[in-house]
Amino acid sequence: MSAVGQGSSAREEKLSVNTRTLPPGRKARRRPLEAFAAVSYVTVTLFGLFCLVPLWMVVSGSLTDESALALTGYSFFPEPFSLRAYELLFTGQSLLNGYIASLFITVVGTLMSVSCTASIAWVIARRLPVIGRPLTIFAYVPMLFSGGLVPLYLLVTQVLSLTNSWFAMILPLMLAPFLIFVAVSFFRQLPEEILDAARIDGAGELRIFFQIVLPLSSPILAVLALFYAVTYWNEWFTGLLFLSDPDKFPLQLILQNLIANVTNAAQLPSSAAGAAAPVYQLRFAMTVLTVGPILLAYPFAQRFFVKGITLGATKG
Amino acid sequence: MTVEHPVAVAKQRAPVAGSRKGRLPSRDSLVLMLLALPGIAWFLVFAYGPMVGLVVAFKSFNIRDGIFGSPWNGLANFRYFLMSGDAATIVFNTVFLNTLFLGSSLFAGLVLALMLNEIRGGLYRRFVQSTIFFPYFVSPIVISIMLQVILSGVGGRGGLLNNLLSIVDLPQVSWYTEPGAWPWILTIVKVWQLGGYTSVIFLAAITSISEEVYEAAAIDGASRWRMALSITVPLLLPTFAVLVVLGVGRMFFGDFATIYAIVQDNGVLFPTTDVIDTYVFRSLRTIGDFGTTAAIGMFQSVVGFVFVAAAVLVQRHFQKESSIL
Repeated sequence: MSAVGQGSSAREEKLSVNTRTLPPGRKARRRPLEAFAAVSYVTVTLFGLFCLVPLWMVVSGSLTDESALALTGYSFFPEPFSLRAYELLFTGQSLLNGYIASLFITVVGTLMSVSCTASIAWVIARRLPVIGRPLTIFAYVPMLFSGGLVPLYLLVTQVLSLTNSWFAMILPLMLAPFLIFVAVSFFRQLPEEILDAARIDGAGELRIFFQIVLPLSSPILAVLALFYAVTYWNEWFTGLLFLSDPDKFPLQLILQNLIANVTNAAQLPSSAAGAAAPVYQLRFAMTVLTVGPILLAYPFAQRFFVKGITLGATKG
Repeated sequence: MTVEHPVAVAKQRAPVAGSRKGRLPSRDSLVLMLLALPGIAWFLVFAYGPMVGLVVAFKSFNIRDGIFGSPWNGLANFRYFLMSGDAATIVFNTVFLNTLFLGSSLFAGLVLALMLNEIRGGLYRRFVQSTIFFPYFVSPIVISIMLQVILSGVGGRGGLLNNLLSIVDLPQVSWYTEPGAWPWILTIVKVWQLGGYTSVIFLAAITSISEEVYEAAAIDGASRWRMALSITVPLLLPTFAVLVVLGVGRMFFGDFATIYAIVQDNGVLFPTTDVIDTYVFRSLRTIGDFGTTAAIGMFQSVVGFVFVAAAVLVQRHFQKESSIL
């Protein structure tokens, strides 16, 4: 089973480079483009545009002068061009606060998540006698049944008193059972021989894990880190529940405030700029700055996500 | 607890038992358990803790007496929820919307995968694939803002769609006060969000189809369309079935963040968009009636469990080896 996961993810890598490229001779023979292929090109391209247009409208809006935005509510081309919103955001305090909060939650959260996921997954993957199976079930049951929101709310606010702490946004999401099992299936593919060799050389279990298993597992660690990082970066509703101090809001929560009330945008640049703040433009600019990091990391990270999904999909 | 279990060891470790059997003393097991400890602690507090906390559903909760001190009130919370007219609406919406979402995103993913498979230019294909996969990583809040731009403009000044409508002389629609349209709007959002993601799963399955089948079909003179329809689609059906089963299993735990981020507290849209999750979340924030809200949450968990368990059983029945346990 695990071999299938490995195989198809390896194939997936190849897939992105050249899929089922026919031998050159045959390809030339099929020169006249078939109808289905033509329809495919058009449809897929249109869907691609459909995915991009909303994004483009936000970027374009963030660069359009408030006077035009106030008339139309959106803009396809940044005309008249203006950088005012970005200037205000970069000189004010709340963007910086938002980035600090989002970065803290994402970096600290991802570190905690990846280390805990990898270590418990490794123990599960070892199939220890007696405790192995109960441990697997212990980690599996939460995928089937959850206590729900209210007990979680009471736990975080009453028992742990984490209100207004960034850890209230980290801890509830710290382990994703699904990713644990993705990691387990990866660990089970590691060659036994290497571990046995280490054992014969007298390496202890901790040493084997930290010095042999982890270095061999960098692909899966990257997959875990990226999935967790995106989750933390995009997280907002635990923030809505547990954070009330605006100075601690991560970017997503600042945006949430802007949705609830567009005039909140006027409070974004905390510097008293004199003239009325460009509330609509600020909203777009804030959105761009929130998606920005993901957009920048995406080209490099994408293949890891594909690998993770493929590994997960073959695992069910 | 850490005692060696020779039979189990011999069974599971058969190939390397010789070198292993004596080499996993209880001390090593203990060390490994230490490694698992942070994870176990998390599960106990954040996964199993809330399950215990569900006792609140059977209590008349108040903050002063706390979770275990508050007086019991039997099934009153459940009765209150089921009597209120909301129960039927939100259960219906949950099932209806999630069925729409599941069906449309699977269909879109399948079609996109088939079509991406026809695109030969490596670079262009990679570019398109990355593009349609990207929406999966856009946060619900950002989606909500994009949708506002299209449907109403930032300041409620018409928006892109209404301007397009006015070009072809159709009446303007005030989308955010039109509940009837929202199941379909949300479905389109879901296709936007998940179409590319689902196509990645299908493409992974397509690559595992043997090349020879296509070559044989090509020799028989089949067109690419014919091959897609008669070879690829039938061979993708198992994957499709698994995704359907998983989706049905998760039906009661739909991705409420997207819906809530879009609809927010816009009461006009509740009749068609309010699902169990958003209902629970809103009652928690605004009403603060923990007992009733916990009861709804528990109702969701139990029904959800039945769905998930059924899904797992169905899947195990058809796919013996791929189940996790």
